[in-house]
Amino acid sequence: MVPKEVKCTESHEWVRLESDKATATVGLSHYAMEQLGEIVYLELPEAGAQMAKGDEFGTIESVKTASSLYMPVGGEVLEVNTDVTDKLDLLSAEPYGAAWLIKVKLSDAGELDGLMDATAYEKHIEGEE
Amino acid sequence: MTNTSILRTPFYERHVALGAKLVDFAGWRMPIQYQRGIIQEHLSTRKTAGLFDVSHMGRFLFSGSGAVTFLQHVLSNNVASLQTGKSQYTIIPDSHGNAHDDAYLYRFYEHEYLLVVNASNKTKDWEYFLKMKEEFTEVVMEDVSEPLSMLSLQGSLSENIIKGLTKSGKVPECTRNSLAVDTINGANVLLARTGYTGEPLCFELFMGHKDALSIWDLLMAKGATAIGLGARDTLRLEAGLPLYGHEFGEDVEGKPIPLFACPLSRFAVSFAETKSDFVGREALLKQFDALKKINSGDYSQLEHLPRIIRAVAVTGKGIAREGAKVWQGEERVGYITSGTMVPYWKPGGDEHANRAICLALLNANLKENSTLEIEVRGRKITAIIVSRHLRSDTPPHAQPVLYEGNT
Repeated sequence: MVPKEVKCTESHEWVRLESDKATATVGLSHYAMEQLGEIVYLELPEAGAQMAKGDEFGTIESVKTASSLYMPVGGEVLEVNTDVTDKLDLLSAEPYGAAWLIKVKLSDAGELDGLMDATAYEKHIEGEE
Repeated sequence: MTNTSILRTPFYERHVALGAKLVDFAGWRMPIQYQRGIIQEHLSTRKTAGLFDVSHMGRFLFSGSGAVTFLQHVLSNNVASLQTGKSQYTIIPDSHGNAHDDAYLYRFYEHEYLLVVNASNKTKDWEYFLKMKEEFTEVVMEDVSEPLSMLSLQGSLSENIIKGLTKSGKVPECTRNSLAVDTINGANVLLARTGYTGEPLCFELFMGHKDALSIWDLLMAKGATAIGLGARDTLRLEAGLPLYGHEFGEDVEGKPIPLFACPLSRFAVSFAETKSDFVGREALLKQFDALKKINSGDYSQLEHLPRIIRAVAVTGKGIAREGAKVWQGEERVGYITSGTMVPYWKPGGDEHANRAICLALLNANLKENSTLEIEVRGRKITAIIVSRHLRSDTPPHAQPVLYEGNT
């Protein structure tokens, strides 16, 4: 189940607006993990990086394929989850929790409005299957 | 496009029952992986025994009094030196010394030669042989891919599993490429000490189509683990074994890769007097002479062999994959032919880790331990030319060969 409080992209990133309404947490959906299979490598940006919505912010790789990660919203990368780059098992175990990828200082909170809510995203992945 | 139906091997229903992720490969519906995934399947093969459905591969049977003469002409290895009860790695060369395909030739019976070719090249190989056969007499060629199913059992437990099933209670003698004909569960089974994983204890089994499922079930009941095409690829990569379409065939620029670019080709090409002339011999001899010179530091004949397949270990962060450009300073020195992250057992065999390894087609003048840079998504990651990624001379298990910075 996709948590109610996140918004999602067609490329399977999720983003959660934090209570300060100025920062957001970004991760990758459980569905994306299932499709990729076992993750063997994850590359994330440095804190401080300035990114626009749609920019590539990292790469996630299984044995078979490499996939790019795209910013669901624009902003400055405040924090990078280094626990998850060391413990890749977290990605499939807690995709919406401990396996968050980056925290972002939003340049425009309004960008979240254009994303799918959990229900719409679940419909979207049903269509992909 | 014509509407060709996707084929299924006799083991299809077992793959489905085991929850395999199925893909279309060379016209066949095949398991890419089972539920535990590629990493775990790779590790199981290295620790216990992996069972591979390889029935999608092409199997051709040659017989008749002209069979040896014909095979000597179209294959690179010396068929005359192949005794009954032995098999040999061989290549189907073209007249320019490049590979139509690589293959394995088995002589289970005195007057029959069984050739196993890549699934992706089966039709091409068959048509090539048919055309070449016109100049020869007394050659009978039969496609036995459908009636004769094929399995591969690889890893340290494989020998005991086979011993426990054969009527004789034996296995083929303990040297690579040895063959035996035996009975399992009342069915005639052809057994070969061959494989594509680098495991020192390894078997390939041929059996009649109708007996195939029961033999799969017996091997699984004895403790084998089903392995998909994904781990088959990571295992062969770690073992440094070539795959047609990567280390043989055309390079990224569409130019054919000379046969001797693959180190393994030395064991597959014979210039013996008993073999005499064969397709591509002249070109291959030039490549072989160039290779001998390269190995002694003489680069005067690089036009015959400009690049060689080498084992490369990634020492920087990231994974180098097929097609990635390889640099040394400002000079482009080659490209990656196969590359991914593979797992290995740490000493003791309880914990595992991953390492990024590759095979690369590199300028022939580069030496072992040379440092390289591989272009991955616009940045360059460091790597090193190594002698090999895996040792196979360490029964009962193959052992990883690790390099500092590559783990």
